[in-house]
Amino acid sequence: MTLHFTPVWFIAVPLLLAFLAPLWVRWRLLMPVLFSAQVALFALALSWIPAVRIAPILETIVIAPPLGIHLHLDAIALLLVALFSFAGAIITAFIWLDNGAAHLRERPAFILILLLIAGSNGMVLTGDIFNLYVFIEIVGVSAYALAAIRRDKTALEAGLKYLIVGSVAAIFILFAIVLLYLQTGQLNIAALAQAFSNMPAQMQLLIGLLMLIGLGIKAELFPFNFWVPDIYRGSDPEITALYSGVLVKAFLFVLFHLTFILLADPTVARNWLMALGAITMIVAELVALRQNDLRRMLAYSSLGQVGLITLALAFASEATTAGALFHMINHTFIKVLLFLLAALMLRQYASLKLTDVHGLSRTMPLAAGLFVLGALAVLGLPPLSGFISKLWILKGFSDVQTFWPVALILTAALIEAGYYFRWIRAFYAAPTDAASMAKMEGEKVLNYAPLLVIAGVLIVLGVAPFLLEDWLQQAAQALLGREALLNAVLGVQP
Amino acid sequence: MSRRLPLRKRFRVHTLLLIALCGWLLMLHLTLLLNHGLDAPSNGVGDLYLARNSETASANVVTTVVVSYRGFDTLGEVTVLFLAATGVGLLFAGGLGATPAFRDRHNHPNEVMVTGTRLLFPALLLLGVYIVLHGHLSPGGGFQGGVIVATAFFLRMIADPNFNLDHAQLGWVESFAGSGFVLFGMLGLVFVTTASFLGNFLPHPVAAMGQLVSAGVIPLIYLLVGIKVGAEIGAIFQDMLEADHDAPLPARAAEEL
Amino acid sequence: MLEVLELFDRPAVLHSIYLIGSLILFFIGLYGLLAKRHLLKIFVSIEIMELAVYLILIAIATTPGETAPILSDGLTAFTGMSDPIPQALTLTAIVIGVAVTALGTSMAIQYHRLTGKVSVGEMTELKD
Repeated sequence: MTLHFTPVWFIAVPLLLAFLAPLWVRWRLLMPVLFSAQVALFALALSWIPAVRIAPILETIVIAPPLGIHLHLDAIALLLVALFSFAGAIITAFIWLDNGAAHLRERPAFILILLLIAGSNGMVLTGDIFNLYVFIEIVGVSAYALAAIRRDKTALEAGLKYLIVGSVAAIFILFAIVLLYLQTGQLNIAALAQAFSNMPAQMQLLIGLLMLIGLGIKAELFPFNFWVPDIYRGSDPEITALYSGVLVKAFLFVLFHLTFILLADPTVARNWLMALGAITMIVAELVALRQNDLRRMLAYSSLGQVGLITLALAFASEATTAGALFHMINHTFIKVLLFLLAALMLRQYASLKLTDVHGLSRTMPLAAGLFVLGALAVLGLPPLSGFISKLWILKGFSDVQTFWPVALILTAALIEAGYYFRWIRAFYAAPTDAASMAKMEGEKVLNYAPLLVIAGVLIVLGVAPFLLEDWLQQAAQALLGREALLNAVLGVQP
Repeated sequence: MSRRLPLRKRFRVHTLLLIALCGWLLMLHLTLLLNHGLDAPSNGVGDLYLARNSETASANVVTTVVVSYRGFDTLGEVTVLFLAATGVGLLFAGGLGATPAFRDRHNHPNEVMVTGTRLLFPALLLLGVYIVLHGHLSPGGGFQGGVIVATAFFLRMIADPNFNLDHAQLGWVESFAGSGFVLFGMLGLVFVTTASFLGNFLPHPVAAMGQLVSAGVIPLIYLLVGIKVGAEIGAIFQDMLEADHDAPLPARAAEEL
Repeated sequence: MLEVLELFDRPAVLHSIYLIGSLILFFIGLYGLLAKRHLLKIFVSIEIMELAVYLILIAIATTPGETAPILSDGLTAFTGMSDPIPQALTLTAIVIGVAVTALGTSMAIQYHRLTGKVSVGEMTELKD
């Protein structure tokens, strides 16, 4: 009997911990368990790096592919799993240290947060399309319940909207999976990829459209993202940090993983997806200009960045893909930072409207400073990591003489600068209401510890991007390498 | 005789447009699927499962697929139900602003309900347990049986206002069954003979096919699924009943329904 | 008369009937989703769409004449049985659908209790 460390641990351990929740409640260990689970999984992910560098790890569950379900841990999956665990650790550390938001430190929140991250890991790891649907639902149900976890009017409204939109998206995805099975008799993604081109062209189009609608809603792409700002406005900022940092990234990965592996020639979908990404980016940035609520502004800014990542990923060249993956990481860190800052501000200010936060830098200098740092990183200013990732994307486009995305990305950055500076100016303006100053408490540095970690990471990655460069290149190759994946999975016959 | 409304009000443009849109989409799908989507998949994984099923010594192939070959899906499915039960419990806990949730103890259910339940309860319980235990032999299994058991308890909750399932105990049962499922999976990983998550590490001789004790871990896992599903559905019923205290439905809500 | 009945045993005819029926159901659900504003009606519509998808899966994957994939009633070999996968998948999907609906209705009930509203059209808390 030996103890195998296999990829299934990324899913099985959180499930076990969640099922054992009554035990943690009795021993008053909920938050420590939640935090250490994320840290342990992050450490586990790091310990895999040398092995995955040599060859992707394929774990069979019960019966070998293409018959059974398998987990596929390659460079990109490892990258995302590590990212999700790290972001999860930061957010849970924040909730743990924070003395507000008691409802986020009880049993339901523990289960929902733990399984939301476990489900995202599963979506990234699984090699079976129906298993993917199950994980989409795990993530979905925990996200719906988390949106409503505060149980007041706004939270319930956000939860209901999310649930309705999300389950409609899931139906479209399920419909596509059903059609795929009826056409090919396969459920393994690699086996489906082999059979996909033998299907009638119209059928391919229908399945592609159904998938695009379903995953487009979940990954918050235009025109399916009308619901996003409402959810982000109504839920707790700690939870929206999870949505923007973990959930959307997992769905973006699924969308592009399926596109690149199912289509033998990804250029078929390239123009469509690039157009979707570009429109998402420009529309979201333009609408963000007019937002007067901090959380709505951040939601639109998040949509804009998702559009940028989509635009770069859809181009399907190695250089832009590596840049897009790097930007995905940066965006996760930045949005986690900004949303957690919004959570801290919400403790002090009743509302986060532009007119209500004038002079915030007087009462919360550290928060205002970190906000500036985050804003600069989103815009992509040199010492920060956002600069490097945007540079890689732009370089990837200009190297192959494609200039329209470059122009769009730079325009979007200009618009971004416009609205972020609007908020920064408000933070550093003279306070409008002197009376409200009196009851403000001082800032607790402990609350800021997780945020300072993120700020450190943003600076380190900006100064030394070569730390991740190799890994990102490998991840980009893994995402684009259809043949290698098919061989790896289907070469191993039962 | 209904009131005569102007034509414009009886058929709203909006509705007509939506009907036209849905009809058009229906026609598109019909032409496409009737031309290309009528044949059942051939040479798919399903046939291979049928061919290989006798290895597992389970007489019911659907159960083999649900619990063993695609057992990982089932673990996920149980998790979704667990999450939903957590969410429902979260929403209904503590009444929230409204009066604390007590069921109306004076509102006696009618005699037919009480007597019928007294008759049905043991039979339903027995049927549910039977269906769970024979999941690998006959149609049914953990999900179906678990829901039947939960329904039996639901009937008792309706028939007897004093009958309540204890949330804490349900939580422990649920926790035991769920972690048992994962631990069984991990045991499969630990044993060298299977070395796979959810592998069937108990002996499962083909000769025993069709007997109650056969198919290795499959019936045990299905039993755990049955317990977990029963506890979760029971908890959802209990939460919803507690929530359903005498809040009269506002007239407006009834009108719009 | 018998010929007409035999016609229905042909897989193509039977599958067409199931397909037409379930697609009609799917689009009835879609219409309800787009046209109705009441929360519970929306959940009903979503359920109808889901059930239509399950029906398509089960109906098309089973050919008339195949037995249930269970070894009983004198059967001795796993041949001539219907595909077990769609049944397993549908079982999984139904449970997931139930879970989502339970959560949705609970949210709707709680929302109604707090605000007295039942229509998505009246959800305006989150607008500016």
